[in-house]
Amino acid sequence: MRTDPLRVTGYSMLSALGGSRPEHLTALRAGRTGLGPSPLPLPFQTAVGAVHTPLQELPGDLAPWSTRLARMTAHLVEALDEPLRRARERWRPERIAVLLGTSTAGAESTERAYRVFIAEGVFPDRYDFLRQHTFGAVLHVVRALTGAKGPAWMVSTACTSGAKPFASAQRLMAAGLIDAAIVGGVDTLCQMTLHGFESLQALDRVPCRPFHKDRLGISIGEGGALALVERTGDARVLVLGVGETSDSYHVSAPHPEGLGALAAMREALEQAGCRPEDVDHVNAHGTGTRLNDTAEAKAISALFPTPVPVVSTKGYTGHTLGAAGALEFAFAACAVEEGWIPPSLGADQLDPEIRLHVPSTVTKGRFRAVLSNSFAFGGNNVSLLVGAP
Amino acid sequence: MNEPGTVAITGLGLWTAGFPSAAAWATGRADPEAQKPLGKALDKVNRRRAGPLGRALADVVAEAINAAGADMSAVSTVIGSSIGEAATMIGLLDELWRHHNPMSPADFTMSVHNAASGLISISNKNRGMTTSLAADEDTPAAALLEGIGLALVRNTAVVVACGDEPAPPTLVQHAPPWAMLASAVVLAPLSSATTPLATLRIVIGQPPNPRGRFDQLLVDNPQFGLLALVDAVLRRTSGVIALDRGTGRGYGALIAKGTRA
Repeated sequence: MRTDPLRVTGYSMLSALGGSRPEHLTALRAGRTGLGPSPLPLPFQTAVGAVHTPLQELPGDLAPWSTRLARMTAHLVEALDEPLRRARERWRPERIAVLLGTSTAGAESTERAYRVFIAEGVFPDRYDFLRQHTFGAVLHVVRALTGAKGPAWMVSTACTSGAKPFASAQRLMAAGLIDAAIVGGVDTLCQMTLHGFESLQALDRVPCRPFHKDRLGISIGEGGALALVERTGDARVLVLGVGETSDSYHVSAPHPEGLGALAAMREALEQAGCRPEDVDHVNAHGTGTRLNDTAEAKAISALFPTPVPVVSTKGYTGHTLGAAGALEFAFAACAVEEGWIPPSLGADQLDPEIRLHVPSTVTKGRFRAVLSNSFAFGGNNVSLLVGAP
Repeated sequence: MNEPGTVAITGLGLWTAGFPSAAAWATGRADPEAQKPLGKALDKVNRRRAGPLGRALADVVAEAINAAGADMSAVSTVIGSSIGEAATMIGLLDELWRHHNPMSPADFTMSVHNAASGLISISNKNRGMTTSLAADEDTPAAALLEGIGLALVRNTAVVVACGDEPAPPTLVQHAPPWAMLASAVVLAPLSSATTPLATLRIVIGQPPNPRGRFDQLLVDNPQFGLLALVDAVLRRTSGVIALDRGTGRGYGALIAKGTRA
């Protein structure tokens, strides 16, 4: 199945590394992690990737929707202002979709309100489940800020949530239903995910070390990325293909041989009409858990006849869960546009089972086609192939 | 009505208390014994893992796919739910903060919005595409649009299932309560559906349909729109069926009778 590439006319990013693309590039180039102590009180030790960028309050009439998730999203929308203005001149509002992803939705806001409810028996006055917790709340904010009136939904497939909207946009465009879409993903730190991954014994006590021989788990992060994709227009990068598969193996563990991951990468290449040797770099899912990194490494090794540089950027930002697929799309786009990739932070002593080329310094080169992998609970896999226009 | 975005409906599924299938709904006679969904598309292990919403979604997916004659191990799956596993989340927070217990890892993995789609995929050895989405009142329309895109672009059968269980009353204090409801349709490209139940296209700007003959507890479920569509196809109706309750963006399903008797 071949489809036309998505033309990415703008993208924005927010994470523990900063609130702009230049801030991200500076940190990546310097090999500087954004991981540090948790701003949320926790009864266990872990590092997190918290966003420290100041977030503006939402404009007056959107105040009832103002959560950390919504403010982070509004920050990302603002950074897309110029390409959005051009898109609005080119396309009718009804033909511009809003297709986003999140795993937490407004859980952070609900948690704070629920603690008050447990202590006092009533929710805080300003808490409103329907405007602050639900998946549609952020969609409302983005539509209001951008004027987009096309189809709008929030994908929530755990850690692939931020990557899947690219596939949704591709399909709606191919079916002739839209001309442009604001796509991406956002997630906030919250107690649910921190305690949940702790219960799975999946959190490292130190900043995560994807592919390292002594890695012990993930560090959770927050943030997001948005991209404006259009049918025509001056593209900065292209999304050449999107592979979506399932492991059909286990709810929370990857297939040990990475079969679903391999199938997703193959599907992305097939859609683009590319061969493995056309790929210059892989931004791995690379969470830092023993099982995930080993399975993904097997899948990558099986696909590529000659090693390509494989980097996990989670040592910089943490695992941003529902935002990871979008944020790592943005890192892949940076590699295509900038002609260099960062060191894979934390991989200084590579696991001997991981037979990949994992750079420990900045690597310069021509990155014309980059795969970005995202895998999730439920055995859900997405691989994006990002390329030069 | 073969305009862009038109697909065939080839199978239907439904679960709500008293009506455990679309076939039962068509009879109009409630079965008082049918109060709990069974999780028919799940294997034994995953049936135990699934909550009531997951089991209801699995029931409607199984019924719709069987009716369509589609392959459970190959069909793409789109699951829509407005609030998903919010009740599971509240249960986890209660354990943590009210009872001061550590979080259950099993319950945590079932708190994600894609719990049902993951369990259905695992149980049926389906290594294909599956997704879960939400769009508040517009969830049925969003799920159908995603399904239409998949059916047309991948040239394949897609099952679209939408469901919501009652919202935790502590969280949603100012909205009317609703009953558990799940419904499903199988969509296919017109070219591959020889005897469709109906054809479908999504339109916008639709006023809500009269709800008179439906139980208010179903009408108030955010997924009512897909039930209205399933009901209309069962009645061999043609026309526009509103996909929200008058509080969404006005999406409707334009359907025409198919050739299946």
